[in-house]
Amino acid sequence: MNTSRESRSVMLLTIVAAMLLSLLPLPEILVPLKPYWVALVIIYWSLETGGMINLGMAFLVGLGLDILSGSLMGMHALSLVVMVFLVQRFRYRLRFFPPWQQALSVLGLLVNDRIILIWITALLGEPMPTWQYWLPPLISIAIWPWLFLLLDSLRARARR
Amino acid sequence: MANTESSGSSRWFGEEGARTARLMMYILLAVVLMSMDQRGHYVAKIRSTVQVAFEPVFFLVGWPASALRTLSEQFSSRQTLIADNRQLQQQLLKTAAAVQTQAALGQENQRLRHLLQATHGRAYTFLFAEMIRVDLDPFSHKVWIDRGAKEGVFAGQAVIDGLGIVGQVEDVMGNSSSVRLISDPDHALPVQINRTGLRTVAYGTGKTDLLLLPNVPLQADVSPGDMIVTSGLGDRFPPGFPVGEVEQVQRDGGETFARVYVRPFAALDRGREVLLIERVTKVEPVPAPVEEP
Repeated sequence: MNTSRESRSVMLLTIVAAMLLSLLPLPEILVPLKPYWVALVIIYWSLETGGMINLGMAFLVGLGLDILSGSLMGMHALSLVVMVFLVQRFRYRLRFFPPWQQALSVLGLLVNDRIILIWITALLGEPMPTWQYWLPPLISIAIWPWLFLLLDSLRARARR
Repeated sequence: MANTESSGSSRWFGEEGARTARLMMYILLAVVLMSMDQRGHYVAKIRSTVQVAFEPVFFLVGWPASALRTLSEQFSSRQTLIADNRQLQQQLLKTAAAVQTQAALGQENQRLRHLLQATHGRAYTFLFAEMIRVDLDPFSHKVWIDRGAKEGVFAGQAVIDGLGIVGQVEDVMGNSSSVRLISDPDHALPVQINRTGLRTVAYGTGKTDLLLLPNVPLQADVSPGDMIVTSGLGDRFPPGFPVGEVEQVQRDGGETFARVYVRPFAALDRGREVLLIERVTKVEPVPAPVEEP
């Protein structure tokens, strides 16, 4: 179907844009505040379109992010796969939440993701991160409504 | 909503079960990948090859930052430039004075070496490089510099800044390369204590302002303030380069070794300019001038 192909290309474009955005060099002070762009975009698409993002795709996107950001191979892949799984599992409930409640559940997803990452780093024997480690989910949640509106309008334009 | 991707498996597990099974499979795959990346070298090799292909992407992404920097340099005021210039002049004067005494000392050293018929001295040439980005993962102590294979950078090359050892080159690409910092928990640096000559190994701790010497004997003569320099063992880092200063010595009678904490000199988390130690040339000892009786 034509419309679905168009929104699929919009989805891929936004994912690539999120990846580039997360690679963007920032001033030293802003680095610990950097939101998890790719996760936000992936959450949006799997929340709104459901079937368009499957676990395999989340895995591939995560691997790409691992390669680009120089983290351990498979770390982001694991984090995104778990995230997409959770969104798909609770999708029908999440979609009918009022916006603030939806934002809270996105925060829950991101905090959960941070816990998974901290678990991996503990297994690797790395030192525990500082309190700043928990800032990105909060920043991400402040960005979430705006990102949601932006992606919604992009998707609507693609469908037209 | 019908899941388009579930074909056969849902017949046996049901929709929900099939999804959980797939999740498990992907988690397993990710864990296998991570442990392979951590232990072996295959995944790391593949990754560095792929990263070479992505070099233009990094350039593209880094472009706004470098453009901003150029802009701010363009518009930095006359006063700051003058102040900078004055400060640099002073610094230059100081280093020039230091170098003068150094040159005399070097000559003397060469003569003494010749008298003792010791091995040759060394001279280094340096390659200037600028950091272009820092790895995003806060747990990986890796930075990227703007010199690569085209400038003759090689894996294992020692990287220093104006203050001390920074790290070593890990992956080399065409125009850039990655540098593993000495603060990486996996990094070990052969060092010695300058005052006593005691040889040991400095490990990274994961913090950019702390190194650890875990293998110093309890009764060894180490005290806070001692300077740590590279020992040159292991043939990677040339000897005699400053590494850091002993900050704290923990002697616990119950343990075999003292734990010595070292604060590295190099600006691991702040600096932008680094030097690559390019070539180590052997310097022929200068024969001592023959004294007339």
